[in-house]
Amino acid sequence: MTELSVAALALLVGWGVLVGLDLVSVPQGLLSRPLVAATVAGWIAGDAAAGMRAGAVLELFALDVLPVGASRYPEYGPAAVGAAVLCAGLPQAGGVGVAALLGLLVALPAGWTLEWLRHANARHVHRRTAAISAGSTGAILGLQWAGLARDAVRSLVVTTAALALATALRDRLGAAAALPSLLTPVLVGTGAAAAISGAVRTAGGGRRLAWVGIGLACGLVMAVALAVAS
Amino acid sequence: MKGQARALVRLLAVQGAWSYERMIGVGMGYAAEPLLRDLDAVEPARLPEATARSAEFFNCHPYLAGLALGACARAEYEGAPGPLIVRLRTALCSPLGALGDQFFWAGLVPIVMSMALAAIALGSGGAVLAALVVAYNVVRVLVTRWALRTGLQSGMQVGTAISASWLPKAVVRVAVPAGFATGLAVPLVCAWLVAPSGARALGAGLLACAGALALLRWGGARWTSLRVGLAAAVAILLLTRVVP
Repeated sequence: MTELSVAALALLVGWGVLVGLDLVSVPQGLLSRPLVAATVAGWIAGDAAAGMRAGAVLELFALDVLPVGASRYPEYGPAAVGAAVLCAGLPQAGGVGVAALLGLLVALPAGWTLEWLRHANARHVHRRTAAISAGSTGAILGLQWAGLARDAVRSLVVTTAALALATALRDRLGAAAALPSLLTPVLVGTGAAAAISGAVRTAGGGRRLAWVGIGLACGLVMAVALAVAS
Repeated sequence: MKGQARALVRLLAVQGAWSYERMIGVGMGYAAEPLLRDLDAVEPARLPEATARSAEFFNCHPYLAGLALGACARAEYEGAPGPLIVRLRTALCSPLGALGDQFFWAGLVPIVMSMALAAIALGSGGAVLAALVVAYNVVRVLVTRWALRTGLQSGMQVGTAISASWLPKAVVRVAVPAGFATGLAVPLVCAWLVAPSGARALGAGLLACAGALALLRWGGARWTSLRVGLAAAVAILLLTRVVP
């Protein structure tokens, strides 16, 4: 297990803030996808492969989420940062499951903070309605920058919480911990169900649904062929 | 029209002040400000009301917001009546939301992420992931630029321009590869993460998958994928305490 330096922790916090901002505010460029967020976080923590493994499980869950309009959804980005840091400090057997569980536990309340942000922005807009109606450019710019700053603070809080939990668990469990071996397959299986469920729901029916099935069949054949070959 | 480059950059943060009050309206006003600045020289009396209109309630897919932004900015310069511009914005909300959500959130994003998952599961490492993220962002910026330019060129005729563009056809075409890519990636990721742990782990994974699928299909809206995941984790942790 690589010990996390202060510089690495500072980088991880910065990355988590960027990831949190990316989900809704700026730039919405896939940085907040758990696979991306966790891989980079794992790399900063000294084990990119561990980050990839934790991120892949959370990505399966995230494939079920359509972040449309005012819908409520979990926030997997900063949660994946914490999960990657935890996974990098645990043994590979069982470590992915424990890290993914931490990611799920953080993603749920992180999603609630998005609602808080939207309400806080709405209250601010409400207070500045008269100025906006009068065509004040300053009021619009102020609202925009305040919204971005609020989201940055929100992301900072969520990332810090995720990292605090991850480092506390790393210290408590350690690299030689005996972890529940079935947690990883159960969470991978549940994540697979989430991804399939999302794909089926999006496909609707007919030819599109058939292609989900064809993809599954091809993936299954490839997985079996690879297992046999190895 | 001046300020297009600044408006394009600001469009990347169009959801920066997302609120239940105006949704992305404030972000639209923020992105419109560089475009509307010259209105002061053309028709000074119109600038305050145009600025106010630009920040009114609006919602659509963020990547396609430039279509509405450009169209409304041009309409302001052409002196279109205010209520007509408000009606244009309102009319664009749903189609731009639906087209963008289907093309990006339900199409391109699952394709890119599933390809990345499959590549990583097959042992490619992070290089493919990085390449896919960069490629996606190039597409994202090009689409944002196209949207702004198309809006500015077509003004009140933006609806016709959208219908004649690549977008409606692409929305239809992206659904099949999205479903296929997700389907392909799932077994590969499962095999990569679970198969090395042996038959018992594989069995537990399959059982969890079947149970979760049943809950997600018939369990009602309360059973979101995250809650199912947490419930499964709690169940297996309790079970392994009873039967180690």
